[in-house]
Amino acid sequence: MKQISVRQCGVLIVMCIFANKILLMPSLMYEQAKADSIFVLIVLFLLDLLLLPIFIKLKTTYPDKKLYDVLKDKLGVIITKIIYILMLLFFFFKCLLVFSITYVYFKQQIYQNEFIFIAFISFLPVINHAVVTGVRAFSRTIEMFYGIVLAGFIACLVISLFTPISNPVFFTSNGKMFFESLYNHVFSFGDFIFLFLIMDKIQIKKGQEKHLYTYSIIGMLLVITLFYLFYAKYQVTSFMHNNALADLLVFSVQFNAIGRLDIIAMITIMLITLFQMEIFNYAFCDCFLNIFPLLSKTYSVVVFDIIFAVLYYIFIGKYEIMVSSTMFWLPYLAIFINYILPIILLIIILLKRRRKHEKKTNKSNV
Amino acid sequence: MKKRPIKVMFKMPMVIVFIFILIFFTPLAIYSPGENRNRGVVTAIGIDKADEQYEISLLTFIPTANQTYKEQNAVISGKGQSVAEAIYNAQIAMGRTIGLAHAKTTVVNEELLNEDVSVVVNYLSRVASLPENTVFVCTNKTAKEMLESSQELTSHLGLKLEQVIGYNAKHLYVTDTSLEAFYKGYYSKTKASLIGYLTLEEATEQEKEKSSVSGMNESSQGGGQSEAQGGGQGGNSGEKKHILNQGQAVLLKDGKKVALLSIEELNGINLLNTKSKDQIISIDNVEHNGNKLSMQYKIKNKKTLITTEFENGYPIYVAQLILGVELVEVSGMDDSLKINTEFSEVTEEVARKIEEEIKKQYTASIKILRENNADVIGVTKKFFIEHRKEFTKFVEQLDGIDDFLNYVTFKLNTIVQPD
Repeated sequence: MKQISVRQCGVLIVMCIFANKILLMPSLMYEQAKADSIFVLIVLFLLDLLLLPIFIKLKTTYPDKKLYDVLKDKLGVIITKIIYILMLLFFFFKCLLVFSITYVYFKQQIYQNEFIFIAFISFLPVINHAVVTGVRAFSRTIEMFYGIVLAGFIACLVISLFTPISNPVFFTSNGKMFFESLYNHVFSFGDFIFLFLIMDKIQIKKGQEKHLYTYSIIGMLLVITLFYLFYAKYQVTSFMHNNALADLLVFSVQFNAIGRLDIIAMITIMLITLFQMEIFNYAFCDCFLNIFPLLSKTYSVVVFDIIFAVLYYIFIGKYEIMVSSTMFWLPYLAIFINYILPIILLIIILLKRRRKHEKKTNKSNV
Repeated sequence: MKKRPIKVMFKMPMVIVFIFILIFFTPLAIYSPGENRNRGVVTAIGIDKADEQYEISLLTFIPTANQTYKEQNAVISGKGQSVAEAIYNAQIAMGRTIGLAHAKTTVVNEELLNEDVSVVVNYLSRVASLPENTVFVCTNKTAKEMLESSQELTSHLGLKLEQVIGYNAKHLYVTDTSLEAFYKGYYSKTKASLIGYLTLEEATEQEKEKSSVSGMNESSQGGGQSEAQGGGQGGNSGEKKHILNQGQAVLLKDGKKVALLSIEELNGINLLNTKSKDQIISIDNVEHNGNKLSMQYKIKNKKTLITTEFENGYPIYVAQLILGVELVEVSGMDDSLKINTEFSEVTEEVARKIEEEIKKQYTASIKILRENNADVIGVTKKFFIEHRKEFTKFVEQLDGIDDFLNYVTFKLNTIVQPD
């Protein structure tokens, strides 16, 4: 079987960590919890980080099994299918959200009114192709571009240091604001869930687990730094700037003279979006094929494209509706996928271990 | 048997995707008209309010091929009951869709500042994509006249409006004078901000004549400025005016103008701002060899140490200011006095007099800020950050946070030394 290395897996994690957090989220969070949003972010990241040991344990317990098979063995086909339907929705809406936010960003930057058709044509064939060729092919592509993406991201952060910044004012929000923000933005997290889906395709040798932690921490630190610099730069007007990573460059008075320096942010965001959509589209198709095992990969891709285009065009894809949905009803879905599902998996691991232990003790007694 | 390379290529899905993209985009790129035919690039925007009507003036850059290095600029305007309507009318007059993403300057007239100006600019930055780093200035006449005069400034001196005000932003204002800086003040707890102020003055008869001759010359060269008429209101208002930069600024509270600050008042406000240097301090009646002289010193260096505390429940703002000064001019010059930066001595009398002058400026500026409840120097924020509990308790006893500045005791210790 074609498997991906730990490095490729780490690169996928970093891309998932960047998803939906580097453009609109800092400003949305500021509106609710002010600069304390950084603490909300840290709490959500820590909760995410707890999923990593669960994933590693699950992978060691079932080294070659698919998540679907693990769940089917323990919970039965129907419950597994329901879980997969929920995961399918989770990844579909994540993909839609990534696309919506980036589309609005490019609409502002490229100076056009509507170019949704061109955006579909530019993105969908490429991500479809990535899905059809498989996780190994697109993770190798992402691995190739990883350096460029990281360099672009860090360049945006570093350039912002050349403009006046001052420490954000912390501890201005109350507990209610804090927890509301925590709940409202939970949908943009759960970045490690994708790893559970492709657990049979990841090759982790002994001692390589720590690399996954390294990649995760790098991704998380970069996002936290982005939030910090963004709030340090804009302070009370943070809620007005919807494209955090790009806005760190755009409003640098010193760099305005150089011209469109924001092209760095544009290229970085474009690549990140493309890779994130590939990951989420792959996750959607994987869930789809497990729900309908008789259908082919191509069929799942076509279904994705049709639902994606129709939903975007008719209803949910409208930016404001999409963003408000992620804050009001999608968090229910996210709480199940991000936290309840890993707890179920943890219980499965513990039960398996117990059985193993019981078998061992029985053998020794005999 | 070997497979043909073309056949192999077509078996690769990425090639098909690539060809598909090429087929879709190539005709689109070839047949779509140039962007400049549909879109007008606005480099500055002016907003006026008169007789309950808004007038939006747009300084547009029209990209056309010519053999000179001159830009083809025009001021086009539109009127309407709302900003949206005025922009719509200006757009019709221009015959192009307006793009504000390149607007470097936003000018408003004084009348507009009688109401909350954020309502107007908020629409432009949120809906019409006016960038927040645009320079935001006010003028005594109409914004439209300011834009028209700025064209002359650019064509004769190569100086743009944002460059003129840029010096003030760097040396005079507490922050820069961008729309972003305005918003930062507006959305802060004290809701106070500063924006730049440029005046327009009528030209003398002689200058008007001279200008009409040079104007004729320019048009004969074929690369001169164009004076477009938009919606029946645009074009040159006929009167030639000069842009004067006197280093003034408008103090805004809740987005409304509360005071027009002179350069001296701004210097007082900026006294503790280490970025603001090169101010001239004049002192009179300095005794030297039995003569009374007037001396001008330039602030070359500035160091500050600011501490805040609550003493007996009352806020105290203590600033330690170390000034490095240089003697630059002496009136009533004495032969024995050499103006040399390296050897100019700051006597006890000079230091005392400079200190007195500095304190006078500082007191006057604090008085203005107190009178207008407009804390643009961040005193309230500093207390909030450093003594949050005491600050919150203290403000609860007041009518509001605006009142806080009136209860702060300011202490200024100055050390004057030669730079």
